[in-house]
Amino acid sequence: MVKFISLRALIVELVRRSKKLGIMTRAIRNISRRKMRTLIVVIALGFALAMMISLPPGIIANQTAAQNVINGIKSSINNLGSSLSIAATEIDCNLPPTITTNWNSSPGSGPPGSGYFTAQIGGSGASSAVGASSAVKYTTMSLTHYSGINSIVDVNTVVPILQVNEAQGQYDYQIEGIPLNSSLIGNYPILPANITSGRTLQAGDSGVVVLSEDNARQWGVSTGGAVNILGQSFKIVGMHGTSGISDVATVYMSLSDAQTITNNIGNATTLKVFVNNANNVGTVSSVISEAYSGLTVSNSQSLISELSGLQSSSNKQLQEAQNTMSQTQSTAMAEIIVAVVAGGAIVLILMLYTVRERTKEIGTLKALGASNMTILGQFMLEGLLLSLIAGVVGIAIGLVGATNLSTMLLPQVTSPFVGNGAAASTAISVTITPELLLIGLGAAILLGTLGSLYPAWRGARTKPSEAMRFE
Amino acid sequence: MSELALKIENVCKTYTFGKREVRPLANLNLEIMKGEFVAIMGPSGSGKTTLLNIIGTIDKPTKGKVLLDGVDIAELPESQLYKIRRDKIGFVFQNFNLLPYLNARENVELAMELAGKFKKERLERATQLLTKVGLSGREHHRPNRLSQGEQQRVAIARALANDPAIILADEPTGNLDIKNKQEIVKLMANLNLQHGTTIIMVTHDGHIAARTERVLFLGNGKITKEKKGSHLTEKLFCPYCQAKLQPESKICQNCGKTLQFRRFMGKLTPSNNVNNN
Repeated sequence: MVKFISLRALIVELVRRSKKLGIMTRAIRNISRRKMRTLIVVIALGFALAMMISLPPGIIANQTAAQNVINGIKSSINNLGSSLSIAATEIDCNLPPTITTNWNSSPGSGPPGSGYFTAQIGGSGASSAVGASSAVKYTTMSLTHYSGINSIVDVNTVVPILQVNEAQGQYDYQIEGIPLNSSLIGNYPILPANITSGRTLQAGDSGVVVLSEDNARQWGVSTGGAVNILGQSFKIVGMHGTSGISDVATVYMSLSDAQTITNNIGNATTLKVFVNNANNVGTVSSVISEAYSGLTVSNSQSLISELSGLQSSSNKQLQEAQNTMSQTQSTAMAEIIVAVVAGGAIVLILMLYTVRERTKEIGTLKALGASNMTILGQFMLEGLLLSLIAGVVGIAIGLVGATNLSTMLLPQVTSPFVGNGAAASTAISVTITPELLLIGLGAAILLGTLGSLYPAWRGARTKPSEAMRFE
Repeated sequence: MSELALKIENVCKTYTFGKREVRPLANLNLEIMKGEFVAIMGPSGSGKTTLLNIIGTIDKPTKGKVLLDGVDIAELPESQLYKIRRDKIGFVFQNFNLLPYLNARENVELAMELAGKFKKERLERATQLLTKVGLSGREHHRPNRLSQGEQQRVAIARALANDPAIILADEPTGNLDIKNKQEIVKLMANLNLQHGTTIIMVTHDGHIAARTERVLFLGNGKITKEKKGSHLTEKLFCPYCQAKLQPESKICQNCGKTLQFRRFMGKLTPSNNVNNN
């Protein structure tokens, strides 16, 4: 307590002895008297400083967001690459299908007499007729006839698939039978990829189906229920969404179930031939074509090389995007510098104006016996106090609105991964660290000092005789 | 009374504007005693303000000596001059030159603050000075709340703050109306009489100048004429009954006779050719 009292006495004594205390009073009076000037400096400098403290973390947040987007794109490109490399080893062999065209136009137009007729692909061209809807009918083949494909060099395995198009009333759907063999379904992309409820098919499954959401909607069924297909009841173990146009209405089941209900024992419609290496796809394809001239042999080789080209060019573009991002950073830094320098210039100009406006006061002060240092100190203090107020206001703006300010002033990062495939701008959150606050305050002090140094010096060295004449 | 407050020897001041040369002061000599109340008159451009500025160390002479309290202030560098202005000189300006953002007391305190006086001392003396110039109770009013006469009183109080050796007043009544003019000059005369403050006042107004002890006329940069003023009104006695006369009074309080003063440029004496019957 004694210590406290003596400390207090010391402070009181210091304040009492402080000869220059009046300078502070005068500076504060002048700042509060010239409200417009104070307002201009505080707004201009305050916003510059707010930018200064909120944009750098904003840039970092923006960069993180952009980097996340880029990383996301990169990983999906890489995933695409690895699934492509498996798909790249696939060769599909079919017999040419038939297309059924349903003429549903009014009487008088279209072929007269019958509502239906069948045509080979590349036939009369009726499939492209206006007012018609077409259905593909896959041609079945005997598996034993093609068993030789298995022994071609470089072939890993042959997966027989049975695809049959059926109709229930007006609704067309497709049955797809897949050999549910653990060594096949575990290693090759033959099951539906996009399961939306329940589970996918497993090795040894029988009497169960995975049907599409479209099927379920049409038939009014759901996962866990049962469905009757071609007179046979199947348990629904799962549903799949569309992962391509072809499987909108596809019911997946085991190959043997499909063969049984469609009367295709020992038959398939597609042979998916997987070779050991994507580089051998071309050779194996031509060997199959030569051996079985009736087969349509197709592979994704050209598509894949195109896609891998796309992949590398995408990576290049991402790199460019990254470069652009760092350029954006330097641009933003330049903008900050411009704003801060402009803030300093405003302090300079307004202080110059103030000094000029108060030339007569300087003359009076000098006549009263103020030293040059007193006058220098007076104006320096005023500029410094103004800048400090602006600094505090700027920090307050920064603390409250850093996120908004950054969102407003920095380019938005748009992520393609948000929501249901729709692009959306990524929200960033900006945190101002204590270091940034100190930097902001330091910048305010520096700008105040630099901005008022020259005006104050000019004021101090005004000759009293000239100052007194000034009107 | 014979001590010199100020001695000016052969002071010249030359301004050059391009090729043209203006010489407001040419070999001016002047001596002013301590406790004198002196008026300087002269036409515009005769160098009155230049002379006052040189005495006040606001301006420097081109040539010559200016001895203030025995120190040649013409030789001192600016780093010393501000101390002379602060401690030895009190300025009173035509436009008062009060700081608008300080109240009356703070304006008076400002001069003392620059001299490094402590707050307590400043407060006491400022209040005392404002009372002396008749502004007791107006200490907290800012200049815009004071009349022009009142503002000039504050300025006079400020000029007295550091107890200067000399007060320099540049047309202190120039911006005032008749009533305030007389009051301000009376205040200065009283300060001079009561405290022996040396005052040099530049004025255009003959009536005001006549209230001083000595009137100097300036022309062509030199003192051309010198006259006694009527400053010692307070020391005048009634020519009829020898009773002390009240200042400005037209009737002797003692004998009740009407008095008439010959007022301009001479010793103010009651004239004898008045019919007192």
